[in-house]
Amino acid sequence: MHIPDGFIPLAQCAIYYVIMIIALYFSGKWARKNLDEKRIPLLAVLAAGIFAIMSMNMPIPFGTSGHMVGGALVAIVFMAPEAAVLVFTAVLLIQALFFGDGGITALGANVFNMAIVGGFVGLYSFKGLRGIIGNYPSAFIAAWLATLIAAVVAAIEMFIAGTFPLNVGIASMALYHAFIGIIEGVLTVIVLYALEKFRPDLLAWNRE
Amino acid sequence: MEFSKQDKYLIVVGIIFCIALAVLSPYIASGDPDGLEKSAEDSAVSEDVETTVVESPFPDYTYEPLDKLGEIGVLILGGIITLVLALGIGYALKKSN
Repeated sequence: MHIPDGFIPLAQCAIYYVIMIIALYFSGKWARKNLDEKRIPLLAVLAAGIFAIMSMNMPIPFGTSGHMVGGALVAIVFMAPEAAVLVFTAVLLIQALFFGDGGITALGANVFNMAIVGGFVGLYSFKGLRGIIGNYPSAFIAAWLATLIAAVVAAIEMFIAGTFPLNVGIASMALYHAFIGIIEGVLTVIVLYALEKFRPDLLAWNRE
Repeated sequence: MEFSKQDKYLIVVGIIFCIALAVLSPYIASGDPDGLEKSAEDSAVSEDVETTVVESPFPDYTYEPLDKLGEIGVLILGGIITLVLALGIGYALKKSN
């Protein structure tokens, strides 16, 4: 769901940049308080892995494709949406600058959708559900919801920008991302399961 | 920066994962439009709405002179740049002792 340049007028891009900068400020504060040295390699590996997985577009119905995003995953691993903001600012900046994937003017909006919306929806739906249905089913639903809601938010941004009509935009984005969210959910569960098996010390859910 | 043996293992696994995806994705990744592009088509957004503000060196993860090998190369390069940048961010912002 990388928004390219040209889809959002510059004045509106500026608003999303301001939101991103505020989010980065709080994420920096979170890191200084919570990011201990032993979890830095994990942060970096997640960033590189997310960069790589985003190149792997998988087919979904309707002649469309989609890839995992990972906002919910990072937020759940660190039990902090702030970690997702740090990871996605790095990944999306590199994608925009070097690979023309997502516009540089739309960077703020893309960080907002994938990291802030994706991270918060992912983490808080996970937290709300895990006591009822357990870690992995919760992570699946949280990642699916994060994808779906981030896509709907993007559709609303596209409507405010005057690029998509509201109904068609929301219906299309929601429909395609309901399928892409399944990919997101499955891969999120696999990565969490692998970390739990091999490096349970790195998972923040084991400390709370 | 001193990495423990376990952390080196994690980084190596991460790099192997990225290289595996980089090698496979030029061959198996779907070339169909993604959810946002398809929604733009559904919304009858004309193709010239999308612009390019910064000319990127490897547009759409390609390096044309080398074809598929170029795609694999720039994906590996991108993964390494991301890894290094994220390590840098982590060390710059880490918890102060």
